[in-house]
Amino acid sequence: MLPAAGEPAAGDSWGLLACLCTVLWHLPAVPALNRTGDPGPGPSIQKTYDLTRYLEHQLRSLAGTYLNYLGPPFNEPDFNPPRLGAETLPRATVNLDVWRSLNDKLRLTQNYEAYSHLLCYLRGLNRQAATAELRRSLAHFCTSLQGLLGSIAGVMAALGYPLPQPLPGTEPTWAPGPAHSDFLQKMDDFWLLKELQTWLWRSAKDFNRLKKKMQPPAAAVTLPLEAHGF
Amino acid sequence: MAAPVPWACCAVLAATAVVYAQRHSPQEVPHVQYERLGSDVTLPCGTANWDAAVTWRVNGTDLAPDLLNGSQLVLHGLELGHSGLYACFHRDSWHLRHQVLLHVGLPPREPVLSCRSNTYPKGFYCSWHLPTPTYIPNTFNVTVLHGSKIMVCEKDPALKNRCHIRYMHLFSTIKYKVSISVSNALGHNATAITFDEFTIVKPDPPENVVARPVPSNPRRLEVTWQTPSTWPDPESFPLKFFLRYRPLILDQWQHVELSDGTTHTITDAYAGKEYIIQVAA
Repeated sequence: MLPAAGEPAAGDSWGLLACLCTVLWHLPAVPALNRTGDPGPGPSIQKTYDLTRYLEHQLRSLAGTYLNYLGPPFNEPDFNPPRLGAETLPRATVNLDVWRSLNDKLRLTQNYEAYSHLLCYLRGLNRQAATAELRRSLAHFCTSLQGLLGSIAGVMAALGYPLPQPLPGTEPTWAPGPAHSDFLQKMDDFWLLKELQTWLWRSAKDFNRLKKKMQPPAAAVTLPLEAHGF
Repeated sequence: MAAPVPWACCAVLAATAVVYAQRHSPQEVPHVQYERLGSDVTLPCGTANWDAAVTWRVNGTDLAPDLLNGSQLVLHGLELGHSGLYACFHRDSWHLRHQVLLHVGLPPREPVLSCRSNTYPKGFYCSWHLPTPTYIPNTFNVTVLHGSKIMVCEKDPALKNRCHIRYMHLFSTIKYKVSISVSNALGHNATAITFDEFTIVKPDPPENVVARPVPSNPRRLEVTWQTPSTWPDPESFPLKFFLRYRPLILDQWQHVELSDGTTHTITDAYAGKEYIIQVAA
């Protein structure tokens, strides 16, 4: 099942990831939720929305730790490099009107494809991470991200949309060239975390939009809390 | 003939008057001068010689001769009260020789700049101010960069220390950098801030917060409000609300978080007590 791949050159982590990502695409799709007494896709959309919020929260601490591990300038708050390289990362940025007019299928597909790629790259990150604690945090996050993918797949299946299959040649690959320098590798890591953060911010809005379209006007949800020293 | 003679006469008189004015009132428009608070300044009386006999006045009030160094006015330790119109006159003829409009002020300190999006995803605005006044006019120049792209910041029609930027793309990973430079006659200063699109999102407060008693139950209060009218798209970008309340006599707040809806019923109010209720978006 694995495509023939030459021996990856030292530092050619992206090339290695191409291999891994191909594996991921061919994993069996998460089976559709068992739907007896089907309440509609609403609850699973809500669950997906909640997952994006949870992951956003989790990423905040993970990214902080990882950027400190990369060291300056990556962990500086004003660090504002030009977006060079990292071409294959799925970009969350989109024109406002285009985003608004996305149909449900496209909206879900874009999310699914993005997180598939991002999960793949993140697993690659995990392989190189120096400390055991970082590897643990990354692994935990990857598991949660896998859960999000499964949740999105569930929504798509419930709505009758096919899961996207990768076209040959569109998988994340990296043309072998001069060995990726240490600094450039760190830049790639930086952009990966940045895109993850931005995608999660976007997905919350994507799923909220889907939620509003699917559900009848929702009743207010109130959570009385007694907070001391708020 | 009688007619042309008076005309020629007027022309000559006019010409004489002009020449006279030019020779004897060289300074009609005051010279504008800015000086730093606390500094010393010496004001020469125009082109008059150092030993010319002159009198100085400020805003029409005579100044004591002990402030003079020859025909020059010397002011030590400038205070704000020194601002005004200074005029020097030839002592004997009271002919006005020179006028200076003096403004005492300070060079600008580093401006305080902040940006906020209360109309997400339409755009954001940036506001600025100086931490301490300069007492003289300042000009501000704001530039907005998104990566390497320059974005236009449109001046607010009403507020002079605010400008507005429209988002071209959403969900961008590139930070925005807003720089401001301020300058006046005594100096200049500048600052800049960098931020991600999502970190400056902050809606305006909810509108029309109303609390009504529930007729059947004295322990209940029905609170209603509206989404802020500046928030352009509550459907795609829903707001959640925080409500807190307490009786005026107590210090401890009760908190409620509402992820949807614009109404809430408080069920544990003390009957007959005055309450303060706040809702945040």
